[in-house]
Amino acid sequence: MSALRRVALVAGGLSTFGVRAATWSELVQEAGAAAFRDIRNFSSKDVDSLFVGAAQPERLAFQSHVAPLAAELLGFEPWKILQRTELACASGQSAIRSAYAAIASGLSDVAAVVGVEKMNLPSMAEANTSMANVLDRTWDGVHGATAPPFFAMCAQRHMLEYGTTSEQMAAVSEKNHRFANTNPTAQFYSKQFTREKLLKLPMVAPPLRLGDCSSMTDGAAGVLLVAEELARKYTDTPVWVRGSGQHSHFHNLSGAGSLSTWPGLRAAAQEAFRSARAGPKDIDIAEVHDCFTISEIIEYEDIGFCAKGEGGRFALDGSSDLGGKVVVNPRGGLLGCGHPLGATGVAQAVEVLQQLQARAPAARQVQGAETALVHNLSGSANVHSLMIYGREN
Amino acid sequence: MVALSESGGNAAPASSTVGGPSKPRAEALSAEKPPRRNDPVPDPLPYLLDFYPQEDPKYTRIAPFFDALRKGSFTTTRCEEDGTLSWPPRVTCPVCRGDRLAWTELPRRGRLYAFSAVLGGAPLGMEQDVPFVVGLIDLEGVPLRIFSRIAHTRYEDCHIGSEVELETFPLPDGRVFFRFRPAGASSPKA
Ligand SMILES: [Zn+2]
Repeated sequence: MSALRRVALVAGGLSTFGVRAATWSELVQEAGAAAFRDIRNFSSKDVDSLFVGAAQPERLAFQSHVAPLAAELLGFEPWKILQRTELACASGQSAIRSAYAAIASGLSDVAAVVGVEKMNLPSMAEANTSMANVLDRTWDGVHGATAPPFFAMCAQRHMLEYGTTSEQMAAVSEKNHRFANTNPTAQFYSKQFTREKLLKLPMVAPPLRLGDCSSMTDGAAGVLLVAEELARKYTDTPVWVRGSGQHSHFHNLSGAGSLSTWPGLRAAAQEAFRSARAGPKDIDIAEVHDCFTISEIIEYEDIGFCAKGEGGRFALDGSSDLGGKVVVNPRGGLLGCGHPLGATGVAQAVEVLQQLQARAPAARQVQGAETALVHNLSGSANVHSLMIYGREN
Repeated sequence: MVALSESGGNAAPASSTVGGPSKPRAEALSAEKPPRRNDPVPDPLPYLLDFYPQEDPKYTRIAPFFDALRKGSFTTTRCEEDGTLSWPPRVTCPVCRGDRLAWTELPRRGRLYAFSAVLGGAPLGMEQDVPFVVGLIDLEGVPLRIFSRIAHTRYEDCHIGSEVELETFPLPDGRVFFRFRPAGASSPKA
């Protein structure tokens, strides 16, 4: 590790998430204005590298070669590394991890990241078709495998093996929607959901109801990462990348294993904690991938915030809420903010930056937060990507 | 509804910057549904919206899988070097990376390990099937758990451990594919 340079997150911002009357390109411009407009001592010319997290612009915006398009929209002319990263639901974090790797290795000094997805199309059947090609299209997608039935099966097994309940899943959704009510950029900013109301919403893929599922969302987010010696040029309060981990476990669903435990998450978390020289107890804030309520419950367990099988109780007893053991998804999560695939991981980093700089809205600021974890799964929870950030390196 | 398109007024940006004061949300939340079109679905679907695999030996090296399926037999590949059983069928072994693979017969029966149902949001070409059941099936006597459509049943009638059996069906263009159905169920005409 000593050969790597230290990397700082120094700025970030995002567009409003939701069903937006805005195109892919317009969302990128909004994220650019939010993330890169008001940085101290910053010039567009400083940006030597740009990483664009975008899952499916070819299918959802009929546009490929999007990295130079984004560079033009953002006003950057990168001369070191320009690339687009695709890792389905983790495309945004993948862009951040690439920027981190580029700076840590010494190839880049100032790297901009933008994550974006335009998912609400006039023809939603075409958008749904593109969600079914995230899994193994030829052998699994062909049978109708999309995210909701897959995570529904995870919920079915977790309920069977550990006694997890619909009420516990609703507790996750209620918490994240309540946090989203503090976040004006969230898709469900002004929608209130009680547990009772959530438990009456229609089924999407049993046992998952509408309130257990994140949405098809339009949005974009950007962050700026820089080498250690440049960090205080741009901000007095840099946030440091302390470690990361990733694991790819299978792709065809025949490799999915028990469904109620995600071994890839355990492996990725172990590597993230090892590289950050930290453990689950050190984490004050966790932005985890609550694409479905059951995902957040399994993530509590397999990241190590609670024992295996205790995730449902962990949600219900407030352990993941403000004042609990670890504050999970104070931004509002994917459930409350919506889930524009390429933007999600970057928006989570924006939240972590805000929280560790003690600049989050008072209603969700975690007092004295020192260390934060960001997790994204992608596809059928076959890949897990984690980063750990700290106020101190 | 987005500030950028609003005329006059205090057009706040539809975005939020870290550290800045919380800005008013510029977009009306009543706009939860975008205008949707109801275009006719082309039949057949364009190639890149077609889920079903190419079966002709002009296009794929695992054409024998589909030939066998057409004759009612369910197969996959096994490595002749180290015995690795793969699903789906492959042309090289993931363990030794050799290409000495042999076709082997799979059981036509299995039991549901987990299942759910798709009640909406189906891809093009599957919308007419909604609602439909899908599940992971432990095949009888082999260490394979594969995903499939479970046809001719309802979610309410399925249970973990329910026995299911293979069924093959023709596609309109002459290709063939498989799915499972409750064991003993007869196959209604598609
Ligand atoms: Zn082999």
